Amino acid sequence: MFRTFLAIWIGRLVSFLSRWLKRGGTSLPGYIALKIDPNLMKHLTSNYKKVIIVTGTNGKTTTANLLANILKASGLKVIHNTEGANMPAGVTTTLLESPGEVAVLEVDEGTLIHVTKQVKADMVVITNLLRDQLDRYHELEQLVQVINRSLSFIPEATLVLNADDSLVTSLGLNKNNVKYFGLARNELSQEKTTEVLEGHICPICHKPLEFNFYHYSHLGNYFCPSCSYSRPKADYEVNEVKLSFQQVCFNLNYPEGEIYLKTQMPGVYNIYNVLAASSTALQLNVKPVTIMKVVDKFLPGQGRAETFHLQNKKITLMLVKNPTGLSIGLKTIITNSKEAVYLFAINDLAADGRDVSWLWDADITLLVDAPYNLIICSGLRAGDMAIRLKYEGIKMDSVVVVPEQEASVNRLLSESVSEAVIFCTYTNLALYRRILRKRGAESEVAYMSSLS
Amino acid sequence: MKLRICHLYPEFLNLYGDRGNILVLKRRAQWRGIEVHITQLSLGDKLDPKAYDLIFLGGGPDQEQGVASDDLRAKGPWLKEAVEEGVTLLAICGGYQLLGQYYRTNSGETLPGIGVFDAYTEAGNERLKGNIAIRVEELGDETPVIGFENHGGRTFLGNASPLGSVIYGDGNNGHDQTEGVKYKNAFGTYLHGPLLSKNPHLADYLIGLALQRVYGEVELQPLDNSLELEVNRSVYQRFLSTKGKW
Repeated sequence: MFRTFLAIWIGRLVSFLSRWLKRGGTSLPGYIALKIDPNLMKHLTSNYKKVIIVTGTNGKTTTANLLANILKASGLKVIHNTEGANMPAGVTTTLLESPGEVAVLEVDEGTLIHVTKQVKADMVVITNLLRDQLDRYHELEQLVQVINRSLSFIPEATLVLNADDSLVTSLGLNKNNVKYFGLARNELSQEKTTEVLEGHICPICHKPLEFNFYHYSHLGNYFCPSCSYSRPKADYEVNEVKLSFQQVCFNLNYPEGEIYLKTQMPGVYNIYNVLAASSTALQLNVKPVTIMKVVDKFLPGQGRAETFHLQNKKITLMLVKNPTGLSIGLKTIITNSKEAVYLFAINDLAADGRDVSWLWDADITLLVDAPYNLIICSGLRAGDMAIRLKYEGIKMDSVVVVPEQEASVNRLLSESVSEAVIFCTYTNLALYRRILRKRGAESEVAYMSSLS
Repeated sequence: MKLRICHLYPEFLNLYGDRGNILVLKRRAQWRGIEVHITQLSLGDKLDPKAYDLIFLGGGPDQEQGVASDDLRAKGPWLKEAVEEGVTLLAICGGYQLLGQYYRTNSGETLPGIGVFDAYTEAGNERLKGNIAIRVEELGDETPVIGFENHGGRTFLGNASPLGSVIYGDGNNGHDQTEGVKYKNAFGTYLHGPLLSKNPHLADYLIGLALQRVYGEVELQPLDNSLELEVNRSVYQRFLSTKGKW
């Protein structure tokens, strides 16, 4: 017991000091506190009414933030890790800050087991499993096994799973409490896909799966011709999707009824994020009207398509950390933008993934005819990106390589067009944010200030 | 002139950007006015050993590799015939392992390969992972072949020759300084990147070999490789002192 108290107070002291030194967003307090008491997460969560874990490859930050905001709006005292600090030290840092009734924890899929061994979560939401930093979690099927092992420590938890992702649904096999969410066929569904795919293999008989249609990457409506396994029926299903320039509208059908949702977040992947958060909230008996209101106002957090204004330019900062993220990021931006400067900031540090070959798994064909007037490549792997563009068939007289990040922003600002988009890998995101802010850029959306 | 490429199991063996190699071959041929035909073959398809100039296999995740491996048993004889005839072949990582004699898993199970290469692979514990540079004799000393390796298996060569010798990185097994394998015009390697993206000299060498069998000695029109070679040089230098690691 003494060890736990010591861990909590030293953790809080470190937290106070690091704030005082203005080093926000650090996981240091949790890291130190876990060194003192390795079981600290268990003690810190034992008094919560509900603990909800959000994990998966893409969309976990947006899903967790939206869910936390919905639950807050319904009157609950919610604790959640807002800054994407999703490894055990980051989760612990969040839990140290102050106690609450409900914890919404975004947890890195690869280190989930360290959390589930201690935290008796009531619900686990899994967004999707896509190719991501494969040099770290080298193959998805191994990741599926790791997640399965992680879930075995919390057999009572309700799983909220993406029905359209066969790798995710394989985690629901032989489990008792499973709810599925997914998309019905809609105007965005495609018969074929040009993206590199995972999840072709039936989780039961290990024969190839077939697809009736795709939504993006390997998410879609699949079935196994050999053994009859198929996409499970979704308890929470989206239909009648309407996309317009500024918003996406859709119906969400669920066992007790139907709600109409409208979001300002672009792209099919955000429909999934809204769906995952809303399904979980409905499962927790939050009133549909509360969900509708929060979804309507919600905007994404740091860098996941954040807009800045600087020197009469609108600059969009977008995180791209894997092939699917880059493919759909480009699709979203290009279909919505006028003439612009594109900047690709590619690093290969630990958090980015050391191997940049993923750039070649992304579908960048849309760039060939996109309305850009200049493409800038920056970062430690600026050259790799330029080669990728060259072989896609981009005209190289409109591509420049400026590895140094400050210099790349100078180059961007020297162009006369009024729009720019910066696609960054993880470690470049904070860096470009800092560079833009230092130069006086104003972010268009203060981070969820209207709701939290 | 026409370059006929066969891409085997594109939907299963598709890890680490390996499909980028097909794009590099295609563009470098097209930029020279060479017509390119790409045929994708997968499960149950017949492989006509006489129909292609260059055959490509990438790496895949374990389960997908298992599916491809079952099917490859049927295609094995055709593939061997093509290689004996001098068809150019490039196999990467998992594809390279499948073309060896066998793969021995951690539990001691032996999965037979199709034996295009006199090489065998044993599962290891730690993955061999990092930036790698090798020297390939046929390409001279001026520019190394660079890439990124990420494999659990350790490959050992029987009577076959390696593709190159390791300058830094682990290569076939982390011990004997060999990387990859070559037999006639067939090559196996662990290098991703994709391999041919930063190694235009190797890409052209393969295109040349593939065309030679049909058209005799061909002189490939030179292309502007300044971007690729500059990136090759800077990435090579960056990881030289750390031996490919960080």
